[in-house]
Amino acid sequence: MTYKSITRYAILTLVLAVSSTACKQEWLEVKPQGELTTGNFFQEEDHAVWATNAVYSMLRDWNVHAFNYVGMTDIASDDADKGSLINDAIFLADLDNFTLDAGHQSPASIWNGYYQSIYRANVAIENIPNIPEMNETLRQRLIGECKFLRAYYYFNLVRWFGDIPLITRALQPDEYYTQTRTPAAQVYQQIILDLTEAAAVLPLKSQYAPGDLGRASQGAAKGILAKVYLTLGDFANAETAALEVINSGQYALYPNFAKIFQREGEHSSESVFEVSCVALETGGGGSQYNQIQGVRGTPNLGWGFNQPTTSLRSAFETGDPRRNATILEVGETLPDGSAIVLDNPDMLNESYNQKAWVPEHVGFQENSPGNIRLLRYADVLLIAAEALNENGKSQDALVYLNMVRARAKGNSTNPNLLPPVTVTDKDQLRQRIWNERRAELALEQHRWFDLVRQGRAAAVMQAHGKTNFMAGKHELFPIPQSEVDLSGGLLTQNPFYE
Amino acid sequence: MIKGITLRTVAALWLILAAWTLQAQVTIKGKVTDDAHEPLIGVNILVKNSTAGSVSELDGTFELTVPNPYVTLVFSYIGYSTQEVALKGQTTIDVTLSEGSQLLNEVVVVGYGTQRKSDVTGSVASVKSEDIQKIATSSVTQALQGKVAGVQVTASSGRPGDGAVVRVRGVGTFNGTAPIYVVDGVILDNMDFLNPSDIESIEVLKDASAAAIYGTRGANGVIMVTTKKGRQSDKTHFSFNSYVGQQRVAQKIDLVNARDYAQLSNEAAMNTGTPKPFADPDALGEGTDWQDVIFRDAMIQNYNLSANGGNDKILFNLSADVFRQEGIVRSSYFNRYSFRANNEYRLTKDVKVGHNLMYQFTDNNNEPGGILFTAYTADPTVVARDSAGNFGNTSNRSNVSNPAAQLEYNEYNRGYAQQLIGNVFGEVYILRNFTFRSTFNFSMGNSRGKSFTPEFFVNDKQFNPESILSVSLNRSRDWQWENTLTYTKAWDLHRVTVLGGVTSQARDFENWGGSRRRLVGDAEEFYYLNAGDIETQTNFNGASQEKYYSYLFRLNYAFKDRYLLTASFRRDGSSKFGSERRFGNFMSVAAAWRVIEESFMRNQDFFSNLKLRLSWGVLGNDKIPYTAAIPTVTSNLNAVFGTTEDLLFGATPTRLANSFLQWEESKTTDIGIDIGVLNNRLTLEVDRYIRKTFEILLPVPIPDYVGSEGDPYVNAANLENRGWELTINWRDRLGKVAYHIGGIGSYNKNEVLSLGTGNEAIIAGGVSGGGFSTRSEVGIPIGSFYGYEVEGIYQNQADLDNFPKRGDEKPGDLRFADTNGDGVISTDDRVFIGNALPDYIYGFNAGLEFAGLDLSVDFNGVYGNELYNAKKMDRFFGVTNFETSFLDRWNGENTSNTEPRVTNGGYPNYAVSERFIEDGSFLRLRSVMLGYTLPESLTGKIKMERLRIYFSATNPLTWSTYSGYSPEVTSESAIDNGIDRGIYPVAKVFTFGIQAGF
Repeated sequence: MTYKSITRYAILTLVLAVSSTACKQEWLEVKPQGELTTGNFFQEEDHAVWATNAVYSMLRDWNVHAFNYVGMTDIASDDADKGSLINDAIFLADLDNFTLDAGHQSPASIWNGYYQSIYRANVAIENIPNIPEMNETLRQRLIGECKFLRAYYYFNLVRWFGDIPLITRALQPDEYYTQTRTPAAQVYQQIILDLTEAAAVLPLKSQYAPGDLGRASQGAAKGILAKVYLTLGDFANAETAALEVINSGQYALYPNFAKIFQREGEHSSESVFEVSCVALETGGGGSQYNQIQGVRGTPNLGWGFNQPTTSLRSAFETGDPRRNATILEVGETLPDGSAIVLDNPDMLNESYNQKAWVPEHVGFQENSPGNIRLLRYADVLLIAAEALNENGKSQDALVYLNMVRARAKGNSTNPNLLPPVTVTDKDQLRQRIWNERRAELALEQHRWFDLVRQGRAAAVMQAHGKTNFMAGKHELFPIPQSEVDLSGGLLTQNPFYE
Repeated sequence: MIKGITLRTVAALWLILAAWTLQAQVTIKGKVTDDAHEPLIGVNILVKNSTAGSVSELDGTFELTVPNPYVTLVFSYIGYSTQEVALKGQTTIDVTLSEGSQLLNEVVVVGYGTQRKSDVTGSVASVKSEDIQKIATSSVTQALQGKVAGVQVTASSGRPGDGAVVRVRGVGTFNGTAPIYVVDGVILDNMDFLNPSDIESIEVLKDASAAAIYGTRGANGVIMVTTKKGRQSDKTHFSFNSYVGQQRVAQKIDLVNARDYAQLSNEAAMNTGTPKPFADPDALGEGTDWQDVIFRDAMIQNYNLSANGGNDKILFNLSADVFRQEGIVRSSYFNRYSFRANNEYRLTKDVKVGHNLMYQFTDNNNEPGGILFTAYTADPTVVARDSAGNFGNTSNRSNVSNPAAQLEYNEYNRGYAQQLIGNVFGEVYILRNFTFRSTFNFSMGNSRGKSFTPEFFVNDKQFNPESILSVSLNRSRDWQWENTLTYTKAWDLHRVTVLGGVTSQARDFENWGGSRRRLVGDAEEFYYLNAGDIETQTNFNGASQEKYYSYLFRLNYAFKDRYLLTASFRRDGSSKFGSERRFGNFMSVAAAWRVIEESFMRNQDFFSNLKLRLSWGVLGNDKIPYTAAIPTVTSNLNAVFGTTEDLLFGATPTRLANSFLQWEESKTTDIGIDIGVLNNRLTLEVDRYIRKTFEILLPVPIPDYVGSEGDPYVNAANLENRGWELTINWRDRLGKVAYHIGGIGSYNKNEVLSLGTGNEAIIAGGVSGGGFSTRSEVGIPIGSFYGYEVEGIYQNQADLDNFPKRGDEKPGDLRFADTNGDGVISTDDRVFIGNALPDYIYGFNAGLEFAGLDLSVDFNGVYGNELYNAKKMDRFFGVTNFETSFLDRWNGENTSNTEPRVTNGGYPNYAVSERFIEDGSFLRLRSVMLGYTLPESLTGKIKMERLRIYFSATNPLTWSTYSGYSPEVTSESAIDNGIDRGIYPVAKVFTFGIQAGF
């Protein structure tokens, strides 16, 4: 045998090895370990439920309903200051004082959290219709829930940022950088469409099984819709939607105002939409909503942000029991009677949002169990009142306004305490309704949006001493600078933030 | 499947063997040995002026068929002088080959084989064992610092057991910039498990030609480690090496004392319109130095015993090693116990098998999480403990924990690991010119982690309401099966080596863990989940898997020993890519010309070596997560529903994937010259390279409105590194003094060539306050710092009126440059303000030996880079402690034009700007060593071969203006580089050691 033939054999051998391609392809096929992929997801009914639950889970997210959420609502408004130690999370003071620029982290974190939520909703809305076999009623309901949630997320975004990219399906790679800002009016159209479609398929609150308590109901969709119309100044539709909620027979004011915000008031008769939170030993079901606003230091070990202002204190009518139920002062006994709030020498004007207070619970403080009440029946009644007044039906408006006042008064027989409002002058009544909204809904993150909606943010802020507030600028928050940068200029900035 | 392929290969080879028949004419037999009478294997034996030849066997014997017994045989062997022997009628002949010129015939390890240094066409640098052992560390990568031109080793952590970040020829990619490590043929991501004293040599394959045989994995360079092998010897050689030493923090950070802290806090309060917290700062004095609370002088020790020897059947090298190191931060330590067995068994004259096995177990404790940051930030006016033993409350004015209390309550963070790394191989010599080698490489490991925190309460910011235990277990398994066939032949003026092979690799990783709270006791015997309340249990378990399949081929050809050619090809498949784009082809060619061998160089004696090298090649990189191409569904996105508040399962895709991902490619061109003059007293190697990386895999930031959790990987960018490398050494004697002096230096320039389709800049380097400090843009170096240029400080209202501003600045605030000249300061005025990539990396060393004494010094350094002092910027947690640079603050007109008034965050003083940029250049005296080797006359009496004692100092001196613990700050990610968010400081180490051979 010669070298040549040996070489030939060697080469042949290698060629043989190299040419066995079938084996290597199979060998190199590695599946994700312990994870479903989009290839085998959305195949069965369970997947539809899971994908919908994942949209709800964002409601407890830090970037959706915690630090920056409270910062860009209550702390920005005249209801609350930053709170906590002077220097703790000093960036929130930029929201309080309107010294933020486009690079500020709060709008960026809100933007991030809300768009992630919207992405989850979009994925569910796109894919649930294609699941081969599932209960049709359930299919429609889940799609409705996701549309409701998408509308909710967009509603907050459009109120904070104005024109925003309107994305209603998962984007393809070539669309990542091409989005532009959709005019707010169009975003509102989509919100209205989603809420209307949701309301058409969602069950009434009472029609849900006990195990589904907390899911979006028809009443929730119509209630938010009423608020959307009110925000747009479409009082006719606001009136209709609010009255539909009122006349649905699903809701009633909870007799004890203070207790709404405690354990017993969770998902009470007054609850139109609220986010369920639970402190489990193993975690995973809580939020940080209560922790960030909790009493700083012992005995409650919260962070002490969202500190009520003097302006808020004086916004309550004399003797209004809601003031005590809203503001937790130093020296006051905690709602569960467990301790007295001690003075923290390192905090100025120390006081707390009592509505966000929760008693001691299992797990750590970030495991907060307090439900986040997003839409209460009292809010719907006041929306109805405001719309009716604008529509020239002041007598009807007074009915709903006085329902709220009567409940606040509770069992008191004092005729001077929160007497029924009788004024029917449109402008005066409007002012009374606005005042009522502030007192009733204080520190529930509605005030800021109300002020902007009512077109008086600049006046109120300046009167409150927030002299940095610039009319025409600060009604909106800046589009996050990183988003503008990444879009290569396709995303424009809000006025005066450039 | 894979087994089938390789079995076929083996079967075919055996067939070839069986078919072999000898065409006998005259058979010459004999044995080749070296000067020490050890047999030489694989010596090329050639009938002069013919193509007939043979190769010596494992025991040095050979058989050769020649036409008549009067021919001349030529014996040649790597590293030895070629010898011609005329047979003169003999049929049995023994030949002794002498080692050739030490330098030129040095053997270097290249992928899947060895080569004479003189035959190397690529850029390969070698580091010897002695050089690695000079540094007192557990980490071989740290010991490599300053040893190889073009290799930047940054030891950015002094934590016991930690390694270093290694970069070969700049930063060639965005994320995983680390080279691969090939230890005795085993491809690994790390080599810090090795004992420095087990290492024979380290070779760094820098250019594409040298690294191309590692194809997909070699794009960031290849570091090859060869551990010590057994040598045939009459007696077994034992050696015992040991050192003990003390470590101390090399450099503390200059922080203000209690009095100055109070003063600065008062000014900060005044500047924000809040009440002064301290009535009388002067009364406070020095206060607590929190760094002193957490640092300590710490012990380091190492003991190594090895045995080396062998006969014509078995060669062995066995070693056992104990390494124990306390950390300079209290409570941290790292202990390692390892064993190695590198054995070779010659089963027959054609077959040998062997193994290189390393088993080790380690245990360590990490310092309390974040304690370096709390020591940096804690309020110095507070005592660690008061006279009653209670911990001081450091969280009054910030959220900072008391470091002393952390040491008390958060100190239990144990890790335990064991690893088995190595290979088993068999080699068969076939038909004299062929070697078939099958190697099974593996790296198996498992590690456990356990941390316990008792219930405690220091204050309302530092407490733990319930004791908690967390445990975790990781298992990793990596095996590679490599089958290669090598053909070696020399005839006339030609020498050829051809290598072909098939390899497969699978890696998988799995982890488990859980936690429980409310343990039945706080003592260590209760640190098991069963001791906790089952109501509180959590658990996790996940895994990952990757696989590779590759074909490799290499040709080495030498003509007249002076014209050298290397060509290699590797085809790699990786499971990380979709089936369409799974395979990549990587090739290289290189040529070298040994000018010194030419006839026109014969009549000069100035040059003793002169070689020109030229190479080009393509390498790959696949450092992405194993599911980057597959969109997965995230589980446990749960929601709470129902009257009983149940947590209901949720899942949905949250992360975008990119199924179009493919290999990243890097193309390197290298031209080099090797010069030796004055009989190689002076040697010089110079390389010029251009390395371009294409289709770089990186998670490209996409707008948040897309809604993805994290950015998907994209083959997005192109990068270029151009540079020079220089290695120079002078080695001579002056009378009885032998001395050497040498240096390495390299220059590298990095430039981003393109970024994705739209060339969107990549923003990264997140810093406190939500800002980003780096920006990668076309035309500038990757990961450059980007922010405002500081022009000065607004001294007064007039300055505010006259200079451009944003609008809300006050006197005493930083005044930024209006770079676009539009009259106002806005984000559009941000510019590039620095870069963390050094222009020059260098090292130099000198040594001398005289009458048994030896002295050596090693320096290394970098020049031309900046660091971003992000820790100074981080004042998120309240009024934390201040660096002394704050004392230069503005507190009235013309008091400072660089350091602004004291504020605690916000624009402009805490925007990303030049204020936080510092010079990163440094020069470090890496080691000084003074040793004494006892004369043989003395050691011989006590039956010892060698006895050396030494003192050494590691990191005794550093010249740097940087204000942190160490100017060595880096990260594996090129877009998050040089940002100091707080590091574990490096130590100076002083050791006493002994090396004994018997």
